[in-house]
Amino acid sequence: MKVSVPNLGNTALAAKALFDSLKIDYIFPEETSTRTLEIGCKYSPEEICLPFKIMIGNYVEAMEKGADTFVITGSCGPCRYGEYCELQINILKKLNPKANLIVIDSPGDIGKDELIKRIKLISDNSPLSKSEKIKAVYNALKVINAVDELEKSLRFKAGYELQRGQCKKLLYSLKKALKDAEHTKEMLDLLKYYKKVVNDIPVDKNRHPIKIAIIGEIYTIIEPFSNLYIEDKLMDLGVSTIRSLYPSWWVKNMLMSPLKLQSLDIRIASREYLPHYIGGHGRECIGEAVLSQRQGCDGAIQIFPFGCMPEIVSKSILPRISRDKDFPIMTLVVDELTGEAGYVTRIEAFIDLLERRNRRCII
Amino acid sequence: MVVGIPKGLLYWKYGFGIEAFLKELGVEYIISPDTNRDILDRGVNTCVDDACLPVKIFHGHVHWLKDKCDLIITPRIMKVAHREFICPKFCGLIEMLKNSIEGLPAITEAPANMDTREDILRWLMSVGKLLNCNRREIINAYKKSLHFFENDAVGYNDLNYPLKVAIIGHPYNIYDSYLNMNLKIKLNKLGVGVITEENLQREEIEEKIKRLYKKPFWNFAKNSYGAAVSFYEKRAVDGIIYISSFACGIDSVVTELIKEVVDDFPFMVLKIDEHTGDAGMDTRIEAFCDMLERRVSYESKCSQFGEYSISCKGII
Repeated sequence: MKVSVPNLGNTALAAKALFDSLKIDYIFPEETSTRTLEIGCKYSPEEICLPFKIMIGNYVEAMEKGADTFVITGSCGPCRYGEYCELQINILKKLNPKANLIVIDSPGDIGKDELIKRIKLISDNSPLSKSEKIKAVYNALKVINAVDELEKSLRFKAGYELQRGQCKKLLYSLKKALKDAEHTKEMLDLLKYYKKVVNDIPVDKNRHPIKIAIIGEIYTIIEPFSNLYIEDKLMDLGVSTIRSLYPSWWVKNMLMSPLKLQSLDIRIASREYLPHYIGGHGRECIGEAVLSQRQGCDGAIQIFPFGCMPEIVSKSILPRISRDKDFPIMTLVVDELTGEAGYVTRIEAFIDLLERRNRRCII
Repeated sequence: MVVGIPKGLLYWKYGFGIEAFLKELGVEYIISPDTNRDILDRGVNTCVDDACLPVKIFHGHVHWLKDKCDLIITPRIMKVAHREFICPKFCGLIEMLKNSIEGLPAITEAPANMDTREDILRWLMSVGKLLNCNRREIINAYKKSLHFFENDAVGYNDLNYPLKVAIIGHPYNIYDSYLNMNLKIKLNKLGVGVITEENLQREEIEEKIKRLYKKPFWNFAKNSYGAAVSFYEKRAVDGIIYISSFACGIDSVVTELIKEVVDDFPFMVLKIDEHTGDAGMDTRIEAFCDMLERRVSYESKCSQFGEYSISCKGII
């Protein structure tokens, strides 16, 4: 069995840490490219949303490298993501009869026994003892938390850095080093080392860069290819970006949800505008728009794939938040046909607008 | 106090129940007219542009009602049965309306779960309170209107036509004849009868669903998939037409699942959106019906490849 996961920000790194220490063969997913998307579009239903297509592309590229088992998470909210597995199994079986898709779903939907059975499908391939397996999961969590934390602070520091482009360079060298690391121990050491480096980046604290919050659908804001590397583009423009939806956030949110303690701040902030969970991350999007305004961001950019149902609801609410709080919010809809030039123009125009707002005469 | 009922979305499922409830309470109410060009235009102008056609039309109905009544009943339907939801847009419908339409009167905001009687009562209680009715009146009206909530619509089942197709889709796409451009009448004119999912037994649909890897959590998905598969397997119809609104998230999954099962059985997905020209639609329906006719008269008489494959062998 050779396991692989679809790309989703830094999760591929965490999966590498997990499967390496479990001593299970793991294929690191190829970085998503135009080719991935082309393959994905070829095999996917026409009307499905962008994440599905990219995921199919990831599967095919991993299969070319020999992977045969894929692990994804499920959901049972009313958003389409929960139905992905059904269609993806059909597509995978057609492409490769030996392929296997393991869906880690919530126990409320499939039952506890079924969940344990599915986890066993993976863990039985590992020669380690139970305690060592738990240790491996713990290490993977440590990796994802540390990577996300580093990425978060680098993206924020990009606006303050003295040497232009340093943060971006560091971020990429970090990801490359982690990808090439041979075992989990090395990854953890690397993370420790990079933490020190990131803390020591020379910054100009007197600068007032533009700060933008990235909100919207979780896949399209986490996976950089699907949003045409918007955060990197903003880094190049000397803009600090803030985003709270990281894979580590998702893990924490999922673990806290049985106790109903998940993302309390978001729930309180969104209560005025959207008091119910509507599936996907629609409510988080609203909550974050409100929170980012409070935290002193200059504006927010909402990104979602074409046809995303929960985000359409939040898109209709955002103009009111924008009016009430005098807070510019731009919505970008991405799909496989998004052209880069028009996209960049809109981002640049938005940044110009924010800059002028800061410079306006108050008297 | 005048209450308005918009004739859109799940009016086709719960509208009669709401009407009966208001009648029992003795409240004056108006229902918005059947969907027409004016309502569509109002909807398109007010609603957020990414939304699907039925949601836009619902906005149109609410816009039409807003100056004519004091309270609009807009059910925020969260789920219709245990672990069966509808699309996320239904859950956030109230917020969409409030933020898109200016000068809205009071609307009902409480979430409505339709899975148990207690939940229906709880929702009706919240509506009744807005109408200043007391508890006993509400419970009485609830008891008298309950069977309207629990019984499904009758559905279509045309007899005495040479051909028959199943129309599958969300109830508001099937029963709103402006939205689907009079699909039923057009089919009948071409000599094709129509049948809908209400004519099937619940158990039949449940049984088909069990074959899926994961039970769909959308009520519409469950019904549409189950109905299409059982019509196909019983060969009760000559073809299946799926009415789907453009950019519908649920349909993008369900149509694929159905295609997986029906293979080469006649199956057409009709996309509807806010464009009102129906020539393209007519062409597609006519072509589909022609195909069905020919299939009946030719294809069943000989095997698909029989004669041809022999002649091929001869050449090789």
